[in-house]
This record gives sequence, C-alpha cells and structure tokens, in this order.
Amino acid sequence: MKRWKDIAMTDQRHKGGTSQTDLRKLRNQMPRWALILLALGVAAVIASRITHLLMMLTAAAVIAYIFSSVISAFERSGIKRSVAVILLFVLAAAFMIAADLIFIPNLKQEIINVYAKFPEFSRQIRDALLLIAQNSAEKYPFIESSIMNLVDNVFGPSGYLERALNASGILMHATPFIMALILVPFFVFFLLKDWPGVMKRVIDWIPPSYVETTISVLGEINILVGKYLRGLAADCFVTGVLVSAGLWLIGINYPITLGILSGVANIIPYFGPIIGCTVSTLVALMQYRNFDPLLNVVVLYLFIKLMDDLVIQPLLIGKGVHLHPMLLVITLIVGENLFGIMGMILGVPIVTAAQKTVGILLEHHRETLRRETTRSLIKLHVAKAPVRPI
Amino acid sequence: MILDTKIVRKYFTWALDTTRESHLLTLSDGPLFKGIGKNLLRKLLIDLIEKKYTAGDIIFHEGVSGKAVYVVLEGSVKIIKKSNSKNKTLVVLGPGSHFGELALIGHTSRFATAVAEEDSLLLIMYKSYFDDLIRSNSATSARILLNLLAILSDYIHRENPNE
Repeated sequence: MKRWKDIAMTDQRHKGGTSQTDLRKLRNQMPRWALILLALGVAAVIASRITHLLMMLTAAAVIAYIFSSVISAFERSGIKRSVAVILLFVLAAAFMIAADLIFIPNLKQEIINVYAKFPEFSRQIRDALLLIAQNSAEKYPFIESSIMNLVDNVFGPSGYLERALNASGILMHATPFIMALILVPFFVFFLLKDWPGVMKRVIDWIPPSYVETTISVLGEINILVGKYLRGLAADCFVTGVLVSAGLWLIGINYPITLGILSGVANIIPYFGPIIGCTVSTLVALMQYRNFDPLLNVVVLYLFIKLMDDLVIQPLLIGKGVHLHPMLLVITLIVGENLFGIMGMILGVPIVTAAQKTVGILLEHHRETLRRETTRSLIKLHVAKAPVRPI
Repeated sequence: MILDTKIVRKYFTWALDTTRESHLLTLSDGPLFKGIGKNLLRKLLIDLIEKKYTAGDIIFHEGVSGKAVYVVLEGSVKIIKKSNSKNKTLVVLGPGSHFGELALIGHTSRFATAVAEEDSLLLIMYKSYFDDLIRSNSATSARILLNLLAILSDYIHRENPNE
C-alpha cells in the first residue's frame, strides 16, 4: 500500500509543481488561440530580423534530414554515429573533387561562355526590342514609349544589367553566398551528429503519461516528412539528369547548367518546369537564331514533365503529398517576399511538411475524441442491456 | 558482414558503436524479437526511441489506451493489476522482457499498470512505426507478428490447459 502511495506521489510530481500551476492560471485567463497567435507573432518578428541565418538553418535542416538515412545505414553496420558523419563528409568531399575533375571544367566553361557572351546576348535582345518599338511607333505610340522605358531601365547606364554585372555588386551578393557555403555544411555536420542526442534529452524530459502520444506523433511526422523530403531530392536529381541528357542529345548549349537549374526549379510545382523550359528556350534561340529548335526543347520538357508526373513522382514521393494550388501560390509569394528566391524554393517543401504535420496532429486529436466517445457508449450499452444474459 | 571480422574489431574499435552491442544481445534474448538478424535488430535500436525512467515512475496506467510496446533494456518493471480495490503485482519484468504488446495489434486499453521497479531504460516501439514496417513488407514485421502470435497462443494454452 505504501508503494502505491509513492507511485501516486511520483505521478503528482509530474503533473503538479508551482510553475505549472502558474502556467495553468495564465492559460485560464487567456484563451489558448490568443497565446498561440502571440507566440506566432513573436516568432515572425524574430524571424524577420534574422532571415539570412534562418535560411541557412532551414537549408541545413533539410539537407541533414535527407542525409540522415545514409547515416542510419552506416550505423546499422555498427559504426559510431560521429564516425559515420565524418565518413559521409569525406565521401561528399571525394564526390565533389571527382565532380570537379569530370563535370566542373565543362560547367566552368559553360558559365564563362555565358558571362562572356552576355553583352552580345543583351545587345541582340535590345536591338530586337528597339526594332519592334520603331515598327509600332506610328500605330501604337504607347507601346513605343513603354519599350523605350524598358530598354532604358534594363540596358541603359546604371540599368539592371549594369548593376547585376557590376563587380562590386557581384561581390556584395557573393559574401552571403560564401558565408552560406561555409556555414551550411557546418550546421549540417552538427545537426547530423547531435540531433538524436537532443531528441533523447527532450524525450527524457517529457512526463511518462505524455510519452506514448508524443513519440507516436513525432514518429508519424518523421516517417511522412522524411519520405517526402528524400523523395523530392531524388526527384530533382532524376529530373536534372534527364534534362541535361535530353538537351545534350538535341544539341543545345550548356546542358549541365540548364539541367541543374531545371532540377532545382522542379521543387516549385507547375512554375518550376515552366522556368526551366523558358530559360532553355532562350538559350536555344540565341544559339540557333531561329525558331526551329524551340519545338524540340518544348517537347523535351513536356515529355520529362509527363514522366515526372506519371512515373518518377509516384515512385519516389508517393501520392497525396501535394499542396493545394491556392496555398502553393500564397507560399511562393510569401516565400519570395520574405526570403527571396531561396524562400520560393524552400517554401514549398516546408509548407508541405507543415501541412502533413498539422494533418497528423488533427488526426490524433480526432482519434482521441472518437475513442472517448466509443468508451462511454460501450459503458452505457453494458449498463443498460447486457449482450448475453448471465 | 565485413565489420564483424576480427581485424576490424581489433584495429577499429574506436569507430565501432560498442554501447549498442549489449542492448542488441538483450533484444535478441527477448521473445518478441526472437529470430530477427543482428543487422535488423540494430536498425530497430537506431530507429526507435529509448527513454530512462526513475524508480517509481508510472510508465502507463491501467485502462488508458495504448499506442506502444515497451522492451526493458536495463532495470526492471513491475506490472500491477487492480482487483477489489487492492493492487496485485502480476509480474516483475527484467532486461529483454516486453510489455504492452497488444497496442501493436489495435487500439486497446491497457490491461494493467506498469511501474518502474528501479531506474530503468526502456525501448519504445510505437504502433505507427510497426504499421510502417508492415507497409514496407519487411521481414522484421512478419517475424515480430509471428512471435506475437506465439506469445498469445502460449498465453491461451496456459490459461486453458484443458482445451
């Protein structure tokens, strides 16, 4: 009996405590939704102040999440986690050196070519635009003035192009990029190495009565979100390789660069393939200076999109993990406004993962309610009308 | 497996995870994971969550719905059943034993209360993880189900020896 009292007291220890009583009082005074809104507001203000750091952390978290299965595979063969992470980084470095020897010379040449030919490309586009402006000057003076404005803004002195290609401008944009190149792998390393330890401490801290539900929900989220993110990464890789191979086959310049661009853009549903196709079409136009190869490029992108929708995505990502078109557009706009192009790319997987998480939490809540209702119904049934007379 | 060779064990001990090895032995001794290979058991140890309980902690109460099965890795756990407003200790489980296995089959209420008898380390396998194992058609899930059936049939025979 004494033992039972001890048990009851231990349980009380987890439920009670002065700080928790204060929290309960606060919760009673303020509605829960107001507290959640307040917390979200504070989080949004803090996030808006540290957007760069947040982007780097998010990118690191996504990369770590994708590679955590590789670390688990190492661990399964009996290797320590810390050694497995170092091994992964050594393998990644070796892969990059190999890629540097095999692909990067081509890629470097492609980028140098694009950069060297940029003034010529821009001149061609400007001349074409001016020609259109001249032709339409008599009939549509409004169009002429608009085109002249556009040409001035983009191609004129201190226009967009001038500023974009300015060496100091490139340096200014390059600094955060270089910082990210150093810091993201740094974050990935420690996230991969220490995350299970952090989770273990969190789980140890949770009171026993909440453990089952917490672990169950976290496990479900981990299974679904992990599958989605890994599938998405594999989908981007496969699409990028297909685009590169296809463009190389139909003889379009810069297939590797365009393949990488199309692969990354593919994260953005609907718009991604359009962006990739538009850039490749422009490159084909500049290369051949006629409309003949356009059909090849468009057919290639349509074919890859069809393959992606019908074969690659169902195999790698699975069905039912897509954003509603309206939510997708909102995500893209908010992502672009808050974090620029990286916000557009990372926003979609993050919002999709968040949508899944909310779905799981709601399902658990509904299930708990359903079980409580069923239990009370069974009690009523047993009390009023026994199934079998005894 | 190349990592099980003598040379690797002799020269690369620093790179091998030896802390898991004792837990691996404990798991393979238990009836729920009987017949599952070392590598698959290691996968379970990596994927699943371990939690420390201090002596006297209630792991779950009788009557609440169960969502996970527990395996004792270290320490011991007492299973208590309330009958006629008295608490009767049914069994004290040591390392390798499991409890709460019915949660893997369906959402059932816990039949008894589980309390940590001493400071213990438990491995928790939640139902959604097991469901995912079944969905991926893994041999592990088939083995666990077979073991579970064997445990239940043993129980039925024990309870009704004449039938």
